[in-house]
Amino acid sequence: MIAQLANRIALSIPVLLGVLALGFALLQLVPGDPAIVLAGPTATEEVVQAIRVEMGLDKSVPHQFVLYLGRLLEGDLGRSLISNKTVASELGAAIGPTAELMVACLAWSIPLGILLGTVAASLRGGVIDRLVMAFSVAGVSLPIFFICLLMIQYLGVEWRLFPFLGRGGPLWTAEGLDHIVLPALSLGLIFVGPVARMTRSSVLEVLKLDHVRTARAKGLSETAVLVRHGLRNALIPVVTLVGLQAGYLLGGAVVTESVFSWPGVGRLAVGAILSSDFPLAQGAILTLAMAFIVINLIVDAAYAALDPRVRGA
Amino acid sequence: MRRRLTLSIAAMAVAAPLAAQEITIVREVDSNNYDPHRTTARGAAEVLFMLGDTLVALDTDMQTITPGLAESWEVSEDGKVYTFRLKEGVKFCDGRDMTADDVVYSIQRWIDPETKSPVAWRAGDVAEVKALDPLTVEYRLEAPVSELLYQLTQAFAIIIDRNQVEALGADFGVTGMNGTGPFCWGEWTPRDKMVITRHEGYSWGPPVYENQGPAHMAQITWQIVPEENTRTVSVITGQSEVTQYVPHIAVSRLRQTPGVLIQKSDLAFWTYFIGFKTDKTVVSDPVVRQAMNLAVDQAAMAEDLYFGEVEPAYSYVSQEALDWNADLDDRLLKFDPDRANAMLDEAGWTRGADGVREKDGVRLEPLIYVFAGSGWSKISEAVQAYLREIGVNLVVQPFDATVAWGKLATQEFDMFGMSYPYVSSGDALNLYFRSENMPTPNRMNWNDPETDRLLDAGKTALDPVVRAASYGEVLGKVHDAAVWIPLYHEPMIIAQSDRLEPVEPHNIYGCGLYKGLDLKFRE
Repeated sequence: MIAQLANRIALSIPVLLGVLALGFALLQLVPGDPAIVLAGPTATEEVVQAIRVEMGLDKSVPHQFVLYLGRLLEGDLGRSLISNKTVASELGAAIGPTAELMVACLAWSIPLGILLGTVAASLRGGVIDRLVMAFSVAGVSLPIFFICLLMIQYLGVEWRLFPFLGRGGPLWTAEGLDHIVLPALSLGLIFVGPVARMTRSSVLEVLKLDHVRTARAKGLSETAVLVRHGLRNALIPVVTLVGLQAGYLLGGAVVTESVFSWPGVGRLAVGAILSSDFPLAQGAILTLAMAFIVINLIVDAAYAALDPRVRGA
Repeated sequence: MRRRLTLSIAAMAVAAPLAAQEITIVREVDSNNYDPHRTTARGAAEVLFMLGDTLVALDTDMQTITPGLAESWEVSEDGKVYTFRLKEGVKFCDGRDMTADDVVYSIQRWIDPETKSPVAWRAGDVAEVKALDPLTVEYRLEAPVSELLYQLTQAFAIIIDRNQVEALGADFGVTGMNGTGPFCWGEWTPRDKMVITRHEGYSWGPPVYENQGPAHMAQITWQIVPEENTRTVSVITGQSEVTQYVPHIAVSRLRQTPGVLIQKSDLAFWTYFIGFKTDKTVVSDPVVRQAMNLAVDQAAMAEDLYFGEVEPAYSYVSQEALDWNADLDDRLLKFDPDRANAMLDEAGWTRGADGVREKDGVRLEPLIYVFAGSGWSKISEAVQAYLREIGVNLVVQPFDATVAWGKLATQEFDMFGMSYPYVSSGDALNLYFRSENMPTPNRMNWNDPETDRLLDAGKTALDPVVRAASYGEVLGKVHDAAVWIPLYHEPMIIAQSDRLEPVEPHNIYGCGLYKGLDLKFRE
């Protein structure tokens, strides 16, 4: 299993390099000259050119990329062109809030999705099954920004249950918990649907298998059959889905963080791209890519834990 | 009744007394830094006015200069030497006394080519700045600058701490900015929030305010909220106490919302306009430019696009601005499409089969560069429709703000959309109409020696009457030549919680809360 994980980690290096190269190339296509942004609208061409040279923007794109990789290997992500803070410190401040948001979102959406999917499977064809599926389709179909605005309008403005402005503090504080509710609810809603649907279909598949029939024949209660023999075996594809959807969730977090002014990596990436802050944007892309890779590694490890056949493969 | 869930009643009980002294101000964008010499962003000025002080301050009438850090000043007869007498007992946030040396250093750094300040020109042609004694500064110019005091009210001119600049280097204005203002640097998280705390010993605020210090608020959090709906409802729900970044569509609703007050200034010193590149063939004929001015219905735009919350503009600066030429009031071009059509007919511009006018093989099809985004999209589409009525096919090319400034420095376009803050007519005219400022910010390529001469005369005038006359003449020339299509003057609108005492909006550089000394909870 360790060799398998080591193999996976080794494979992720070229993936990371590819993402870096692609990100660097795409950022070159983004229109805009950071030197002009920094110099301001009334600056002379001489001032702009001086800033361009100072920032190394006068060099060719491949040259800039090679220099960037060299610095990266030394652990230097560079400095933000806009704030002059180190990219590492800016990312360091943003990773925590994004991680909090992901944890808070997954903490309620995965159990709820699994619960709804299992209930729907056990009551297949009934009203509850149809309601769960309708809810899942709505969750998948509604754009995340619309969900965010609905949350603000009703839970924030009409009923004034929760705040929606920024991060109140770390997750373990009362203010922090209060502030994370709406962003986590909004982001989680897009996650519940796919998990519920996958759980439902997977449980239905498993319930048809011989070992389940044997369990029933032994006289186990339907709940015990469902939970112990059905659900556990049905979770493997759900884990795969969670891994894949986590990437989608990172995309959703970009929008959620922007609407709720949540100071995370997604919002940082948007701000960096819009202000032509290339080192910061590249750092944010790198962080998001690494997060995606790490999540997939965890999924692989979880596979091995859940399915002995994978462990031996 | 507020029914917000609280997950820890005890924590809230502890936080309640603190909340009485703390407010959150929401705004749209952050600044790139808070070094007064290295940024032109309004987002920087908003905070810098609170962190620092200037030698002189500007009253809310946008005309009266009041004492700031200088308790008095004298100007020599030739207008070249300003002698400032500083207030005693002024301290930086770190407790160090502010002296004339700090003033000298601040001005010298502002104009030093090494600083690469994009606004160094605002300091005038400085010959020397020196400290005569610890509380007296002599500011010597090569030539008089009639509006120097107005420039010295701006955030670029706040007094900074040499020790800190040298200690922080490139991080000055990023990790700290030690000023003498009513608030001190707390913590800045770029693109998220800036927290500033009360300068406890502050007592030298400008007489613009009844309270000259210390500030009533113990802490102000400037929170960045890019989403305009979130900004609006944050004030409604009390999650923020103040904002000047309210979408126009929401202003009337906020007026009717219990718990929210709208404060609107009668002055509007932020003007939106469309400029013509006057040497481009398609718009080089003044008749064409005048006709295009007459085709646009600013009053309807102000009503339909901005819900009546802005002032339709027919003048290039607010008619309330210092040195506005009142003789022009009756000559301003206002909506009259029939006259516009008649003028173009008379000038020989005939309509083609598609309705677009032509003359000598030139189609009236100017290209306009504008900023991408809802504001300029709406404006340019409206203007496009108006111009179509007189046979002009306006081609609109929007650019993201990160690109637009560079594009607007080129000669590629015929027209451009722009908005700008100013303190006076002279401030605006010297920026936009000097030939030496081509191609930017004089994007019109307005190259007129007589204008330059008059601007010099206004800039160096020792007598306010002469200054007003000189600038008045320039205003007449450029209005007659229809170099711009003025669109609207944007007044300062502030939405605030009624838990606060009413604030008086300021118009300085579009920073409605200025020094924040009147921010106070009702008792």
